[in-house]
Amino acid sequence: MVSEEIWALIQIFLFPGFFFLFFLAFFTEWVDRKIVAKFQNRYGPLHVGPKGVLQPIADFIKLLSKEDITPRMADKVPFNLMPVLLLSLAITPLFCIPIVGSNALVSFEGDLIVIMFIMSLIAVLVFIGGWASTNRFSTIGSIRAGLQLFAYEIPMNLAMIGPAIAAGSLSISKIVDWQIHGFWNLFIQPVGFAVLTISLMAHLQRVPFDIPEAESEIVSGWIVEFSGKKLALIRLAKDFEFVLASALIVSLFLGGPYGPWYISPIIYLAKFFICVFILSNLRAAFARYRIDHLLAGAWKYLTPLALLQIFLIKVLGV
Amino acid sequence: MTFEIPFGPQHPALEEPINFMFEIEEERVVNVKPRLGYVHRGIEKIAENRNYQQLVYLSERICGICSFAHASCYSQVVEELLDLKIPERAKFIRTIVAEMERIQNHYLWLGLTAKEMGFETLFMYAWRDRETIIEMLDMISGKRVNYGMSTIGGVRRDITEPMIKRMEESLNHLEARAEYYTKVCTKDPSILKRTVGIGILRPREARALCAVGPTARASGIPRDVRADEPYAAYGEIPFKVVTYRGCDVASRMYVRIDEIKESIKIIRYALKNMPEGPIRVKAPMRVPEGEAISRVEAPRGENLHFLKSNGTDKPERWKIRAPTLANLLSLCRMLMGVNLADIPVVIAGIDPCIACAERIALIDAKTKRLKVWEGKDLWRYANEWYRKRYGL
Repeated sequence: MVSEEIWALIQIFLFPGFFFLFFLAFFTEWVDRKIVAKFQNRYGPLHVGPKGVLQPIADFIKLLSKEDITPRMADKVPFNLMPVLLLSLAITPLFCIPIVGSNALVSFEGDLIVIMFIMSLIAVLVFIGGWASTNRFSTIGSIRAGLQLFAYEIPMNLAMIGPAIAAGSLSISKIVDWQIHGFWNLFIQPVGFAVLTISLMAHLQRVPFDIPEAESEIVSGWIVEFSGKKLALIRLAKDFEFVLASALIVSLFLGGPYGPWYISPIIYLAKFFICVFILSNLRAAFARYRIDHLLAGAWKYLTPLALLQIFLIKVLGV
Repeated sequence: MTFEIPFGPQHPALEEPINFMFEIEEERVVNVKPRLGYVHRGIEKIAENRNYQQLVYLSERICGICSFAHASCYSQVVEELLDLKIPERAKFIRTIVAEMERIQNHYLWLGLTAKEMGFETLFMYAWRDRETIIEMLDMISGKRVNYGMSTIGGVRRDITEPMIKRMEESLNHLEARAEYYTKVCTKDPSILKRTVGIGILRPREARALCAVGPTARASGIPRDVRADEPYAAYGEIPFKVVTYRGCDVASRMYVRIDEIKESIKIIRYALKNMPEGPIRVKAPMRVPEGEAISRVEAPRGENLHFLKSNGTDKPERWKIRAPTLANLLSLCRMLMGVNLADIPVVIAGIDPCIACAERIALIDAKTKRLKVWEGKDLWRYANEWYRKRYGL
């Protein structure tokens, strides 16, 4: 009994728990920055650690040590609470994702719905954070974040429900399990995969859809008043969101940790970084869209495509 | 509900300090008030205490990017007052350097506009290619930004045979890249979405508001000093004035990319047909009394220098009108009704260079007296103003 408890503690705190996830988040940020730099003909992070691999950690520590300013006019409680909530909300869903075997640390029927709910909450939090800082730029940024939620949320959730319908379960672990016996969902639902990838780019506020924080237009939008520790937490939360996005794609569409021959976290990580590569690639390839372009595009193309995918699953029975 | 959004003087989308106060109605601009005066350096006043030779270097420092346009424009105006004929070879070298500067500026502009659109990859690519032409300028003049090439009576350095060989190589590279950017900017859907139909300036408005340079040419007006009133060697070189009829940011982009190609052709022709001979003649220190105006097509548009001399070795009055100031009215017209997200792209569209445009002095409107304020007074004024306005 005792050893089981120790095993559980190791799982929660070391692998695949907090420790692993923190390093995965920082490492993913480094990979992302390096890939985008390569596409843009730059070097990317170079100096801290071998090939700059420790740069995200150094950035995090630097931000922690900087002056933390709360604007006089800001709504103090939500303003100070928002970064902490954002970080905890971004980490929580990662425990529902199976990395080692077919069972996640926390797994229950309906955890997919919980993850969808948390992802919407994150967008709402972003709105609250921007609104509470009462800066003209962050107000516009937070309004844009709210509008963006209307655009991507429905196609994203529809695309996530597709695998659940096929597997007949709302638990991510069961969806992953189902994919060993059949095919990866990528081959059965390619349209759903594409829709989910695009909507996740919008959820992550990455370059074609970095509308709420558009640097050249509204000076980082909703983030503009956050500094020091709060900014460090927000940036870490964004890394975790990125990890979550890639992990979701791997679990729902690429068969989780199952390889052709055996189950292993290494296979999981390989798939994970393929997803990171796809998302980074998309980031380097486009100019920023305008908010009306995104809304029109999401409702004209993404939502009908996601519905079509679900229709196909029901009709063809795959 | 309308609310005001300040844009600048410090803003990531602006490289230089200028302030726009936008009245926004649901992300749409309904009114705009520009405000200059943050980088006034008093260059015209300094000029009255320097001699003509020193002013060549001062004129180059009016603008970091179109430095040669200002220097050659100033040299021309002094040469006109002196009635000095400069050697043919010097004219060709001036043309070559001016066109290289145009290429350099247009690549810079392409990169910056891409950055305003949020397209960082294109920004990095354009600036890498700009490095090629800057290296060529470095090779010819010894400097990357303020070339120090133009002087009264000609140019300071010659272009030699090995230089021409290296330049041809880099021109081929730049031409291939310009073709590539034409392809990217006419095909990429995300660029087209952000530029086509944005920041409209109709030909009639462009004429009425006296737009100059690529801004006017993108509205279909073939206004180009190089063709209208040829200076340097432009009269002897065949070239085409690029115009587009789209009147939007996309047309301004295509005009500039096509001008890069046209400039490359001009440089090739000039290098081939450059006459032999001296590169400068000696100019006297004292300039006879008189007034003169000279115009040069800077990369951003028409550049105008007025000089009044009083027979000494120092000018009486030197007036500069940089292209940005001429385009500012058109810019305000373009900004009306655009989406908040399009403001940076539209502002970048005229290729603003604020430091060039700053030519004001503080004048009391009631007594018409010129006031000189020290830092202490400015500090006091700023504090009072904020106290009054916000009750702090």
